[in-house]
Amino acid sequence: MSSPWRVSLVAIGLAALALAGCNREERHSRSKPIGETVPAGTSPDTIWPGGTVAQTADPRARLYDNNAPAIAAGQQLYTQMNCVGCHSHGGGGMGPALMDDQWRYGGRIDQIATTIAEGRPNGMPSWRSKLTEDQIWKLAAYVRSLSGQPSKDAVASRAESMSSTTPQTLTPREPAHTSDTAAQ
Amino acid sequence: MRRVVDAFLVTLLCTATAALTGCSRSEPRQQLGSATVYGTVPAGDHAVAAPAASPADDGNWVMPGKDYAATRFSALNQVTPANVSKLALSFTFSTATSHGYEAPPLVVNGTMYLITPFPNYLYALDLTKPGAPTKWVFKPKPLAASQGVACCDTVNRGAVYDAGKIFFNTLDGQTIAVDANSGQQVWRTQLGDIQKGETITMAPLVAGGKVLVGNSGGEMGVRGWIAALDEGSGKLAWRAFNTGPDKDVLIGPRFKPFYPMDQGKDLGVRTWPPEAWKIGGGTVWGWLSYDPETKLVYYGVGNPGPWNPDQRPGDNKWTTGVFARDIDTGQAAWFYQTTPHDLFDHDDINEIILADIPWNGQRRPVLFRPARAGFFYVQDRRTGQVLSAAPFGYVNGYKGVDLKTGMIIPNPEKATHAGRVVRDICPASPGMKDWNPSAFSPLTGLVYIPHNNLCMDYGAMQANYISGTPYVGADVKMYAGPGGNRGAFTAWDPIHQKKVWEIPEDLPVWSPALVTAGGVVFYGTMDGWFKAVDARTGKQLWRFKAGSGIIGQPISYRGPDGRQYVAVVAGVGGWAGAIVSAQMDPRDPTGALGFANAMKDLPQKSTAGGILYVFTLAR
Amino acid sequence: MSIQHYQSIFGNAATETRQFNTLFVIFLVVCAIMYLAVIAFLILGLVRRRRSDAANTVEEGRHHDSNPRMQAGLIGWAAVVGTGLVALAIASFVADRSMAVAAAHEKLSITVTANQWWWDVQYNAADNSKMVRTANEIHLPVGVPVHIYLKSNDVIHSFWVPSLAGKQDLIPGRENDITITPRKLGIYRGQCAEFCGAEHAKMALVVDVDSYSDFIKWWRHQLEEAAPPATPLAKAGYAFVTSRNCGACHAIAGTPASGTVGPDLTHLASRRTLAASMPMGEGNLYGWVADPQSIKPGTRMPTIGLEPDQLHAVVAYLETLK
Repeated sequence: MSSPWRVSLVAIGLAALALAGCNREERHSRSKPIGETVPAGTSPDTIWPGGTVAQTADPRARLYDNNAPAIAAGQQLYTQMNCVGCHSHGGGGMGPALMDDQWRYGGRIDQIATTIAEGRPNGMPSWRSKLTEDQIWKLAAYVRSLSGQPSKDAVASRAESMSSTTPQTLTPREPAHTSDTAAQ
Repeated sequence: MRRVVDAFLVTLLCTATAALTGCSRSEPRQQLGSATVYGTVPAGDHAVAAPAASPADDGNWVMPGKDYAATRFSALNQVTPANVSKLALSFTFSTATSHGYEAPPLVVNGTMYLITPFPNYLYALDLTKPGAPTKWVFKPKPLAASQGVACCDTVNRGAVYDAGKIFFNTLDGQTIAVDANSGQQVWRTQLGDIQKGETITMAPLVAGGKVLVGNSGGEMGVRGWIAALDEGSGKLAWRAFNTGPDKDVLIGPRFKPFYPMDQGKDLGVRTWPPEAWKIGGGTVWGWLSYDPETKLVYYGVGNPGPWNPDQRPGDNKWTTGVFARDIDTGQAAWFYQTTPHDLFDHDDINEIILADIPWNGQRRPVLFRPARAGFFYVQDRRTGQVLSAAPFGYVNGYKGVDLKTGMIIPNPEKATHAGRVVRDICPASPGMKDWNPSAFSPLTGLVYIPHNNLCMDYGAMQANYISGTPYVGADVKMYAGPGGNRGAFTAWDPIHQKKVWEIPEDLPVWSPALVTAGGVVFYGTMDGWFKAVDARTGKQLWRFKAGSGIIGQPISYRGPDGRQYVAVVAGVGGWAGAIVSAQMDPRDPTGALGFANAMKDLPQKSTAGGILYVFTLAR
Repeated sequence: MSIQHYQSIFGNAATETRQFNTLFVIFLVVCAIMYLAVIAFLILGLVRRRRSDAANTVEEGRHHDSNPRMQAGLIGWAAVVGTGLVALAIASFVADRSMAVAAAHEKLSITVTANQWWWDVQYNAADNSKMVRTANEIHLPVGVPVHIYLKSNDVIHSFWVPSLAGKQDLIPGRENDITITPRKLGIYRGQCAEFCGAEHAKMALVVDVDSYSDFIKWWRHQLEEAAPPATPLAKAGYAFVTSRNCGACHAIAGTPASGTVGPDLTHLASRRTLAASMPMGEGNLYGWVADPQSIKPGTRMPTIGLEPDQLHAVVAYLETLK
């Protein structure tokens, strides 16, 4: 192959690599206006009488799931908003464990975002009026990373502040157990 | 020759290997589960229970402490060390709950009452009929959201019977009075607010026509208080806060603290940064004792918030100390601060046993307190003066107690600070002993202390206050203390300040103790063994494996047939058992405020439950 | 008084900068003399012709005669250099000691905790109930040595008020300190001097040096709780601030808002700057509350997306927090 061809091939390859990393590194710092609600129609582990309904994925899930800045921001919010006080670093305590595969109210990112925004009956507080949507999605992205759902290149290998647990890149993956086959 | 040398070398190698594997650092000095005797029961004059607070035993069990002096001593003597091995199951009952069961059953004239953890059902069982069938159930229906603000499992530490009514608290902050015969509600008063993070888990004290109740939530940034309700109507008679200005703390002309460190005006404000006392903790979630002679109620105050001490420089009055208050007005008589500017979450809410001891040829009215900080306090209950404070386990977080100033002597090497991890602090946050109360026998003069042997690493960081959420600011990991056993059951001589015997246990001993006049001590372990040991020597005489770990108060009562019964409810949980009752993931060592690291093996050793076991001597 | 127009490390507004400047001048003079002497010798060496002396060639195997004048000159030069170095060492030592002496006589103690991207300032007091917490602004009494403890909550920052003292890093997990004894009244500007993230450039600091009585007046005012709102608009703003997002991160004394992760807002409107980068004013307040992410992208305060009347109410309330 002649030299100019080689050069352009290498350039195309590098460009492809750079584009692949785009979504992972894209930063979102503003949310939509307050009128827009966090998804309500997502069901946790449930039965659809008469046949399973195809669940359309929330478009915002793609923006935040597997997004490195979102997970890092979510980690900071997790400590600052006292999630760590009830859920520890995933082990649970006052609240259920978040690092295992049991999800009472669903383990998909939009289900977790709904849980954070709405609260849940047995003691999970409702954060709708205290956190912006953007902050809630970032927290949901981080909560997913406690059970190892995002890819290893999206999670931080070192926490941004003094850490008491093993690095996130070592977290084993625990896919949620659910009756909804689309909910993995 | 070469073969001989080879054989010799092989033998040497094998012996060396065997010796090395044989000696392991974690081998405990003592044998788990069996008593080591350090001394004998003291002869001659010894401590007795405060007479006014400890009336003669009528065979009932009407309050968790057995009497106002909190002796947890049963005068029944049918069961003795000679025959306790014949103790057999009489009947059982499932409470249909599976969270930590910390309460004692109450027995009043042939009816047994059981109060469960959330949702706080109150059962009445008819002991006069075979199998003790249920007479009625009272379901208070507390708010489900209260489960989200209860720090250490959704427990309830007991109900109280008085004058035909049963009094108890619900997790969402209500105090309820129920008619003991019919099970109908008499009155209900809302005292706590879950929006602020308040819950109520303690057992009330009913005396002098008042029902005394305190709140929980020291990890949630609440402001701690104790309140008195009128026994007949449930209306609030007085409420004393444990932080803030003197008028809120009900400190007035009667207040005479013994030591200079506790004297001054508005110390509940001046020993905090501005506004910090409003969210400073100081809750009353433990035990209350009462002396009818002086009409003083004694109680300990919980930890200051947050756990990060750098956010609250100052002594943080009036947290982690003991108050004596007049039961009619709530006015404080004296206060003693056990750990000013608490660094380790050493709440001071443990049981306060009222006793009279021989002192320089006279009888001196005192109180006994095996405290979280690790010292066994003997204090004059008229003034609060500390007569002795000896450690009843290994302590390195403090260097001792200065009896002249009354102040605990901190160890600067173990001081916790934000941005730093301090390792190997003993005792750990649950203390040398947590809420689970000891028992006192006026016959042996010993205090039987079920307790922990835990140390911890503690890393503090800035905590953010948002009402209704935890206000902690610390990552903690706990583990076994010196010796490798996580718990122990100790018989302590309060006058000579030393151990008489001690039983090391693998798991923390999180159950209260019971001692009988027959000379038998009962306690339970977190893996479900209900044990009877000799009160004088600690020798294990009998044991029974219950369906779940035992953290509840054992009681002994005289049944309608005149025989002695021993009852306990087995249901593991509480702070130590949260890894089971809350189905936590053991891979996160910081879970349950650090306890998860120390209790990783508990899920294999016990499952959750809530079953009553009643024993009596087999015929 | 307005904030100084330029920051100068050569000013003498504080004892520490004066000592530093004295030291600098000594170094400058000594080193200048040395430098000029070396240049002189160099020029001399270039200009002076070599003596062509056949007796100096090595092949002859004869030792080059020593030049006593050269010897004396070189020894003299070594002595001058040695003296110069000793003088510099002594000057440096004296400067260090005098700065340390000031530290030992601290009368005032402040803890500055750096966050991304703002300064949390806390005045320590023996009577804990007299502690003051503010943000991005330090008030100091003139002539009093103040000991500043430096901590960080996240990454390494650096505390630098050029007119008053040198730089000192704030390192997470560690407590550093610096002593400042201001000598001249004035309002001095400082900033973060260690790259700490995307908004490092917008992490400024204002140090206001007052007379002692003015300082005490300011302290007493800072201890007061926030005044309750008077107008209906301010009351609506109060309701929003205490029940919605704001209280989760910010504290306003005397209200239910007690968050610790953001700056204390109790006396926000009486500060000179906003968000560590803009002058305080109604317009900037509106802009900041409405959309902080467009002013300081990546800052921890989120863009909430307020409705217009909510924005008016909140700003009206914040302006009452003098």
